[in-house]
Amino acid sequence: MTDINTTLPGQERYVAPLEETPLQTVDTVDESAPATSMWSDAWRTLRRNPLFIISAILIVFIIFVALFPGVFTKTDPNYCTLDDSLEPARPGHPFGFDMQGCDVYARVVYGTRTSLSVGILSTLIVVAVGTLIGAIAGFCGGWIDAVLSRIVDIFMAIPMLLGAIVVLQMFRTVTSIWKVVLVLALFGWVSTARIARGAVLSSKNLEFNTASTALGSTPMRNLFRHILPNSLAPIIVIATTSLGSYIVSEATLSFLGIGLPSTTVSWGGDISNAQSILRTDPMVLFYPSVALAVTVLAFIMMGDAVKDALDPKSRTA
Amino acid sequence: MSEQTNIDDKLDQLQRAEGPLLEVKDLQVDFTTDDGRAVHAVRDSSFSVYPGQWVAIVGESGSGKSTSAMACLGLLPGTGKVVGGSIKLNGTEISHYAQKEFVNVRGSKMGLVPQDPMSNLNPVWRIGTQVKEALVANNMDVSHEKRSDLAKALANADIEIKSEGDETFLGSKELPELLEAAEQALVGIGVEGDAFTRKMEYFRSEWVPGSETRWRVADDLIKAGVKDDDAWYIAKKYVTGSSMEDRIAGLLVEAGLPDAATRARQYPHEFSGGMRQRALIAIGLACRPELLIADEPTSALDVTVQKKILDHLQDLTDSLGTAVLFITHDLGLAAERAQHIVVMYKGQVVESGPSLEVLQHPQHPYTKRLVAAAPSLASQRIVSVEEHGQDASSIMEHKVNEQSLETADTIIEVSHLTREFKLPRTKDMFKAVDDVSFKVKRGTTLAIVGESGSGKSTVANMVLKLLEPTSGTVTYNGSDIAQFKGKSLLDFRRHVQPVFQNPYGSLDPMYSIFRSIEEPLRIHKIGDKKSRAARVRELLDLVELPESVMRRYPNELSGGQRQRIAIARAMALNPDVIVCDEAVSALDVLVQDQVLHLLNDLQAKNGLSYLFITHDLAVVRQIADDVVVMQHGKLVEHGTTDEVFLHPQQQYTRDLLDAIPGGKLELGLNLD
Amino acid sequence: MGKYLLRRILQMIPVVLGTTLLVYALVFALPGDPVKAMFGDKPVNEAVAAQIRAEYNLDKPFIVQYFLFLKNALTLNFGETFAGQPVIAEIGRAFPVTIKLALMAFCFEAIFGCVFGVISGLKKGKWYDSVILIVSLLLISVPTFVTGFVGQYFLGVKWRILPVTAGANPGFFDLLMPAMVLGSVSMAYIIRLARSEVSSNIALDYVRTARAKGMSNTSVTFRHILRNSMIPVVTYLGQDLGALMGGAMITEQIFNIHGIGFLTYQSILKGEANMVVSVVTLLTLVFVVCNLLVDMLYAALDPRIRYA
Repeated sequence: MTDINTTLPGQERYVAPLEETPLQTVDTVDESAPATSMWSDAWRTLRRNPLFIISAILIVFIIFVALFPGVFTKTDPNYCTLDDSLEPARPGHPFGFDMQGCDVYARVVYGTRTSLSVGILSTLIVVAVGTLIGAIAGFCGGWIDAVLSRIVDIFMAIPMLLGAIVVLQMFRTVTSIWKVVLVLALFGWVSTARIARGAVLSSKNLEFNTASTALGSTPMRNLFRHILPNSLAPIIVIATTSLGSYIVSEATLSFLGIGLPSTTVSWGGDISNAQSILRTDPMVLFYPSVALAVTVLAFIMMGDAVKDALDPKSRTA
Repeated sequence: MSEQTNIDDKLDQLQRAEGPLLEVKDLQVDFTTDDGRAVHAVRDSSFSVYPGQWVAIVGESGSGKSTSAMACLGLLPGTGKVVGGSIKLNGTEISHYAQKEFVNVRGSKMGLVPQDPMSNLNPVWRIGTQVKEALVANNMDVSHEKRSDLAKALANADIEIKSEGDETFLGSKELPELLEAAEQALVGIGVEGDAFTRKMEYFRSEWVPGSETRWRVADDLIKAGVKDDDAWYIAKKYVTGSSMEDRIAGLLVEAGLPDAATRARQYPHEFSGGMRQRALIAIGLACRPELLIADEPTSALDVTVQKKILDHLQDLTDSLGTAVLFITHDLGLAAERAQHIVVMYKGQVVESGPSLEVLQHPQHPYTKRLVAAAPSLASQRIVSVEEHGQDASSIMEHKVNEQSLETADTIIEVSHLTREFKLPRTKDMFKAVDDVSFKVKRGTTLAIVGESGSGKSTVANMVLKLLEPTSGTVTYNGSDIAQFKGKSLLDFRRHVQPVFQNPYGSLDPMYSIFRSIEEPLRIHKIGDKKSRAARVRELLDLVELPESVMRRYPNELSGGQRQRIAIARAMALNPDVIVCDEAVSALDVLVQDQVLHLLNDLQAKNGLSYLFITHDLAVVRQIADDVVVMQHGKLVEHGTTDEVFLHPQQQYTRDLLDAIPGGKLELGLNLD
Repeated sequence: MGKYLLRRILQMIPVVLGTTLLVYALVFALPGDPVKAMFGDKPVNEAVAAQIRAEYNLDKPFIVQYFLFLKNALTLNFGETFAGQPVIAEIGRAFPVTIKLALMAFCFEAIFGCVFGVISGLKKGKWYDSVILIVSLLLISVPTFVTGFVGQYFLGVKWRILPVTAGANPGFFDLLMPAMVLGSVSMAYIIRLARSEVSSNIALDYVRTARAKGMSNTSVTFRHILRNSMIPVVTYLGQDLGALMGGAMITEQIFNIHGIGFLTYQSILKGEANMVVSVVTLLTLVFVVCNLLVDMLYAALDPRIRYA
């Protein structure tokens, strides 16, 4: 046994002076910092993220254009005369004219509403249906989960574009944008359902649910008061990101000529019409493409920013 | 005795002659936050480790103990950076080393045994491969032992090592021939019958390819009676070096992993926590470093496994002459294992010195606090006071007098409780709880003690009626809880409340503290908005938290604070029984002590009964009146706390008691 | 491993049945008359319509139709096109082209996606990380057909590096630009996936342990960081191989490549429901088989799955 006499050099008894290492009471609450919930934490992270600021500004602008296209142009996007066919830009018509002689600028402005409404409506349906089915599967478990999961597998196996084409070719004559919305939702709900199921499953097993049950809470009460609110974050993330991808899908379907009818002003349709004159007048194709890309980019960046803010991995709980 | 002092003296001389192996002076480590502020994780810390010595750094989480150790390895996480002071390894300054230079000292000069065995092995590589990486990275000669000068010098006292070749490892190819030669040699000197079988048995167990060296084989033979020259002849002929595979298996065997050759081909997920930790020890020691940094190497393991592994590690490092820098939060454990203790608090060294001295005469108020709060030491203190024939109640946190324990009525009775689970993808049933019976008396505490997999939490869940038993009954106040439905169930829930282990999981992160504590009142529709708010304030006061906490969310509070909130929530309905499932296990000692005090006060004030589930026998001593010990789902021992601690009946209980760190330390009884 | 495989194959059967049923139902059972759709804008000739209905068993109950279709599909008898060509022959002609295109796109996205993603993940925060991130964000946001036109305009029309369209019997160079366009979106996703995997793996405990062993940075990076990061990337790649074939429709359309996508699209325009169902069924099968391959690969890469 080592005793004091044989202490090795550098290992003598040392006691730090108390003034250098003041002792604090055990486990005090820091009352100086403001109270923050998970959401306000996420909001603070978001606000500091340049990605979020840029995408938020873009999205607000895009929504404004979609709501009030009249503020940006007085030209009717459907007023086209062949006299103006492929005329270059001139005052009042900054982007020039397309082959039919329609004002490209006006069509880009009015196309915003189409893209955005398809994107938003599809997302709303997908989130509602996907969350419902995913939550039921995750919460009930057992055979209900098994059946629902197989149905999800089946839908997952059909590539979205192919499925959409098959259905849409049946409904050539329908002109409402709802057909595109519903078809996108039909093939889009599965990914949200999967994520919702996973989220519900993982928050179902957290201890606070057991704690609530032991306090006298019922399973249904747990589902609505604890499990669903705690599953929201991943659903919000996928909703934001898929909004962008639904806009792309709508444009792609319109581009193929089986999405929206040609009477509806849409970026995809305009890009499709412009492809034959790519070699001579690339700018006619350029403007709607840029509008489309910027819109999708805004939503995807927003999805990234929201994910950074809500991702449990990046949050230190 | 004299031989031991001899070695100790020699060690002391060598240590003085060589100087410190690791010398850390005024170390400063900063982390940079997102907004560019510097956080001082370690400030002006100094400590040193001599060759062959165990030095422990003790502190709670966030004290900077791991950070200091990682700084020595150049493995600071994230934005961590050494900003001042010096770190010398064998007299060479390494604090300014680039990563490339650190590569040369890691593994070969300094090894690491990390904290969490679950996350420290790469799941996609075989265990053997991960050991091999360490050997290959440092160009280790796998056919010869690399022994430190210190070990050589100390071993000299024991046996003369004649030449370099004596450190050659035994290979698995030659093992059968060697055993045959040994057999013949034994026959040659006339050993037969039982003695012969015993000796061969001993050879078979000791001669592990890739670990046993030539001189040890010779030594074993000589000790068995074989003539010196013959023994050396056999050893030289058959011990000719091991292959990589032999060496890997040998290392794993040394770390205490049986059947290592097969184990080496398995993947980490096929290993238990204890086995993984042994593999990590093998990796840490693979290249025979002079210093091993052991960062809470056993805190994630069961107590009995913990003890076995540490015993093994100590034997191994002693025989190799490896110095160990041992990071732990447990003062008792530190004092038991290390010669020198360094106590850290909020990034600074507050006290350091020889273990026993620090423990018996703590000077700094923080160390005093730690010594007073450490459950392992506290229970030790109670035992020693009682052994000295004095009244221990003054230093015990809690004691219900014997009389009330006998006369009190039973509030919870568990009889012949059994619970089976179906094993996945088989038809086999697994008995998690097997015929367990006990009674909880009103106003007392019954502790269920057991290691992971003992079924103790399953019992808790059945008592809480969160899980239905396969057979057997639980009664509350004489009525079978299986019959409770609807209103009577709600009434039962009102009177029997849980506090769970994980302070991070048991509160809904989306709920403010106010809402969390209010939840039971809402569920049971008690009071109006105003009276509920008043009750929440009252409860916060009860658990000694400021009212302002109400508006906060769980993520802003520490583990101990969350656990106090969970207790406040459990107290909201004025329950009779609280089931604490590992309620203090995840907390730092001081915080743990605080929560235990709180539980004791509440019991004294409100006459609560506790069912206290824990793996930590040391804590039991402080809080329980009765103890139930469980193992593999079965009740092993049941008695009053004193009976169990002073006169344990079963071997398993004795093992558990033995495993309490610091249990054998001599403590000063005068503690202020 | 064998048991695991068997279980996966058994799980595949209901998915295949369900998927084909769903596709069949979408085409033939939805409100909307496939026969009418065949006539497009032309007036419906009732006699011809009745004949078509009989030929495709449309006069029978739906479930019978489906089983007849399934029976025929198992013998690779998908019926004939309007022009009297067997559907399977048309598919046989178009399929190799699409496979070639999809494989080229696959190689493109796998190589560049992994390389850029890994560089980005290892050097998070450096300027080239930001550049790679922005470019991948742009590629994800811009729809394939826009990327296609941009490529055609610059590489084909302006700088004349690569042919603008591919035509009926395309060679390697003809398919180079289409493959890049087809693979670009997936490449961007792979970059992002690999980047986040690598950068989160760097901080893992076992990587620190590997460093503590004294391993050099290079071997730690390859053996521990990259090896583990590749598991999800490979999974994504495998699933994408199936999706690429389906997604080739747009690319083949833009570059005038006579592959499966082109064929499908033409059939849709002509209203050949029979052909559409056959192709979609086939592509779905390819997709499901790719998923099975991914599962096997996954098991090979991650020992934890193998024994589960």
